Amino acid sequence: MQKILLPKILLIDDEEDIIRVLSMSLRSDGYDIVSALSGKEGLDVFKKESPDIIITDIKMPGMDGIEVLKKVKEINPETEVIIITGHGDIDTAIEALHYGASDFINKPVRDEALSIALHRAKDKIDIRLKLKEYTDDLENMVKIATEEVKRKSNFQTKLIKSSNDGIVATDDDWKIVVYNPGAERIFGYSRLEVVRKMRIVDLYPPKIVGAFKSEAENKRNDEGLPWREITVLSKDGENIPARFSGTVLYEDGMAMGSVAFFQDLREIKRLEKELINSERLAAVGQTVAGLAHYIKNILIGLKGGRYIVDVALDKNDTDKLKNGWQAIKRNIGRISDLVLDLLTYSKEREPEYENCLPNEIVNDVCELVEATAREHRIEIIKDFDLSIHEVLMDPRSIHRSLLNLVSNAIDACTSDEYTDKRWQVRVKTALEKGNIIRFEVKDNGSGMSDEVRANLFESFFSTKQGKGTGLGLLVTRKLIEEHKGEINVTSQQGKGTTFTIWLPYEELSNTDKIAERI
Amino acid sequence: MGKKVLCVDDDPDIRLFVVTVLEENGYTPLTASNGEEGIKIIREEKPDLVILDVLMPRQSGIKMYRELKTDDSLKNISVIMLSGIARRTFLRSQEALTEFGNENVPEPEAYLEKPVEPEELAEMIKKVIG
Repeated sequence: MQKILLPKILLIDDEEDIIRVLSMSLRSDGYDIVSALSGKEGLDVFKKESPDIIITDIKMPGMDGIEVLKKVKEINPETEVIIITGHGDIDTAIEALHYGASDFINKPVRDEALSIALHRAKDKIDIRLKLKEYTDDLENMVKIATEEVKRKSNFQTKLIKSSNDGIVATDDDWKIVVYNPGAERIFGYSRLEVVRKMRIVDLYPPKIVGAFKSEAENKRNDEGLPWREITVLSKDGENIPARFSGTVLYEDGMAMGSVAFFQDLREIKRLEKELINSERLAAVGQTVAGLAHYIKNILIGLKGGRYIVDVALDKNDTDKLKNGWQAIKRNIGRISDLVLDLLTYSKEREPEYENCLPNEIVNDVCELVEATAREHRIEIIKDFDLSIHEVLMDPRSIHRSLLNLVSNAIDACTSDEYTDKRWQVRVKTALEKGNIIRFEVKDNGSGMSDEVRANLFESFFSTKQGKGTGLGLLVTRKLIEEHKGEINVTSQQGKGTTFTIWLPYEELSNTDKIAERI
Repeated sequence: MGKKVLCVDDDPDIRLFVVTVLEENGYTPLTASNGEEGIKIIREEKPDLVILDVLMPRQSGIKMYRELKTDDSLKNISVIMLSGIARRTFLRSQEALTEFGNENVPEPEAYLEKPVEPEELAEMIKKVIG
């Protein structure tokens, strides 16, 4: 700044008097003055002193003012050069302008003209310096900003890369542009196979693609797609359980892309499965005593049957033979039921979905128990929702679960101590929203105490005093859970019990839907 | 016409078995599938012996046994308990009930644990009522 306030001026003139007068005048104005008596000397001084302004006479022996101007501009184009010309020497003035002179002063040099020219030169220098300062600042700022952006982008890239979750982002055309190692682990495709080569339709389950597209169409911007459990199909064709959440990204109201997050649930699912398995094993251990009792009863039945058959054969008594044989058959049935229950309970099983008519299955169950019910004066009431059509479900799971519940309901009536009741077992089906069928088995039998209800699904537990395996409800619950359904019970001692099952179904003939089910 | 023996058991297989044993040994069998029905038949038929299961739905053998043994007109009828539960467990429950109800109920004439062999049952019946 000091330089601008007090520019250094180089005076070049071959007339010593002029130099002396101008020097005195300019010094008294506060300028720093150096001088030379020829063009050549002027250039030497210029190189040594680096003045900001040069005032040079144009006509000098040897190197003239134009020549000095040319050389000075070559060395430092920013130097202001003021030319002193003879009056009316337009040609020279034009030539000087051509080489970059800043200003002209006519001879004889008057203080006023000099002062104006110097002011102009000073302003120019001033502006140029400021401009340079701005430019330097700007470049600096751009450099800092670029570095910051780079640093941030680096940070974000690293963040995305090191995330355990799969992160996938697309451009506004659903083309994948970000695909991190977490996503590689879930989907099985490498980054090179995906980035700028795949669209979401090639990678995501169809329902997620649909959700994104409708989100973008409706320009919803509030919460995005909330977390949900889904199954993604990996490169190897494996169904990978994952949690998903995503959102469409907007810029000025226009969709500019999307981002999706996937959490790998394989390990969690594996641990869950392990836990369930170990719980199941513990439960199996607990029950051996109870089971032994049940098996003993079967054995008693079989032995009795054998004795009756022996007696009948001895006497050729056909009626007795039939009775004995019935007893044996009945107990063989109990054994096979028990083995089936044990197998169902101890094994993992995937539901086998088939086209079926739920009402018809429930009707079969009712017919199976009809004879027993009649024997004990229990009325079976069927209350079926006739709007239930043919659907895709696992008919075996329905049959088994309902048979267990209806048999329990009948047992609850036969063990009821209030013998003046008119016992009823109501079996109801109903269609519910969201592709769900509700099955309800309601009896007005003995009901349960809170303690019994608390134990219902806990472990092998039977109130049937050695006549039940304690497996029925466990098997039922397992079947229901494997079918992604729910089971609930309400009961009042002495009043009765209601079991309710909710099972999801798929519409017909689209078996692919099962695989895609979210 | 042999002596009348009533079998009370909710399990049809056991009833059939006991009936066969009774017939084979010259007795006249009667059956009931629960305690309530059993008491009714006892009052009507006055059997010589009751073969009684302990655990039955609706009215248990324990309750029926106490009803039988505290009824002056019935308490001389002999009883053989035939049960899946151990003799010791049954007797302990009787003691507890006696203390609780402050009534003296005698032990049954015999107690057999299931499973029972036909010969064993026949011998026991013979021993109790001849």
